[in-house]
Amino acid sequence: MENGVLRRTALYELHRALGGRIVPFGGFEMPVHYTSGILTEHDAVRKRAGLFDLSHMAQFWLEGDDVAAWADGLTVNHVATMKPFQARYNIFTNPHGGAHDDVIFYRLPDRWLLIVNASNAAKMWVHLQTHVHGDVRLTNRHGEDALIAIQGPQSVAMLAPFVGGDIAAMKYYTCLETTIGGVRGVIGRTGYTGEDGFELFVPGNAADAVWDALLHANRGAGLIPCGLGARDVLRLEAGMPLYGHEMDETITPLQAGLAWAVKLAKPEFTGKAALAAQAAAGDFPRIVGLRLDGRVPARAGYRVLRDGVVAGEIRSGSIAPSLGNASIATALVDAASATVGTRLGVEVRGTEHPASVVNLPFYKKG
Amino acid sequence: MAQPAGLLFSKDHEWVKVDGDVATVGITDYAQTSLGDIVYVELPRIGAALQQFGNIGVVESVKAVSDLFTPIGGEVLETNGAIDADPSLVNRAPFDEGWLYKVKLADHGETGNLMSGDAYDALIAESA
Repeated sequence: MENGVLRRTALYELHRALGGRIVPFGGFEMPVHYTSGILTEHDAVRKRAGLFDLSHMAQFWLEGDDVAAWADGLTVNHVATMKPFQARYNIFTNPHGGAHDDVIFYRLPDRWLLIVNASNAAKMWVHLQTHVHGDVRLTNRHGEDALIAIQGPQSVAMLAPFVGGDIAAMKYYTCLETTIGGVRGVIGRTGYTGEDGFELFVPGNAADAVWDALLHANRGAGLIPCGLGARDVLRLEAGMPLYGHEMDETITPLQAGLAWAVKLAKPEFTGKAALAAQAAAGDFPRIVGLRLDGRVPARAGYRVLRDGVVAGEIRSGSIAPSLGNASIATALVDAASATVGTRLGVEVRGTEHPASVVNLPFYKKG
Repeated sequence: MAQPAGLLFSKDHEWVKVDGDVATVGITDYAQTSLGDIVYVELPRIGAALQQFGNIGVVESVKAVSDLFTPIGGEVLETNGAIDADPSLVNRAPFDEGWLYKVKLADHGETGNLMSGDAYDALIAESA
């Protein structure tokens, strides 16, 4: 939040007109849900499709011959091995191995698009500028360009009439540069819901037209606008981490269960020594999935107990409509309490509610 | 929007229906709309003695936990078991099947601290 002044995305007036309940999020005034409500929006994404405004997330463009080598030195996953039109999840780390931000790189033939969390946009822009060297040029389009996501099993059919490329042929985690509703933009087959879907990067002044066209053409097929509330439930069910919850400057990617993205074989990157030492020691507190026996929601910050002793804390929690409204959560717990099947308790308003450690993700698309 | 007839209201957006010595309590349509999708309701135990306007439970939506204040004092006679199984009843029928609990009135005089439907309408018009 820069100077405490909330910004608005290009779609703000449309959100208001659609009955969006507006809340501050990542420095922007964003819809947490629309008139239909979080559960209805969640259901649309799992069964048909939902439309999201994610323009609060920052879009940074990276250009120059040294981008890949430079970015490889700041992140845990491989950058240089990415081919044009590939997208890849990655994490910028601090010297202690903690997560500075989790991001997605999209590689185009002549440049890279880097998507950064809204809450970390200012911090990340400083971080990148401070560390820039060689032939690396940075452009910050945060709040200028829009990001619209269409997510759900009907996404291909709903989006295809509006784009220049063959989106049905795109593989998961690839991107295209093409026309979207007649304007030039980038499409990624990426998302944060556990469903098929696309993320559309378009100029801010074209966002209204793209949003309206998609919504009006597909309303009859069940496409509805969805807010950040549904998105959070969808991503938690799908076991996807949220910065500030499952990882932060003190919770490393290894603790967050993201070892698959940490390439300790890379020659050097910020925090590598700390992560290698943590991996070797192996006894670190880590993120696990919890499923409570009862229906009470487990909220971030609640204490997690094992045999009456504090073993960790809840980092995210919700009821899970995809699992019959079971109460699910992620928790950061000590290594001895992290085995699947371990019986734990969650302290809710002074009462302990039994829960089990379960495998992540909670939900996998059919 | 007119409130259902025969009910009294608190500024905390609960309603009370008094029938002899027994009062039925719920939250208003305005309250359920403001809360959004309700996923959990925690109510006092049967037999508990409630003080008027005391914090006696919680109503949880997907995103938030909200305290529940009883609009009337007395001993809890019954809680609505149907909302344990389906908390969305409170969203769908806040004045009917979505009632929360019944108390045996401690003091009929406490109803004097509550509002009519018209006064409650004026209150929510102010906060809109």
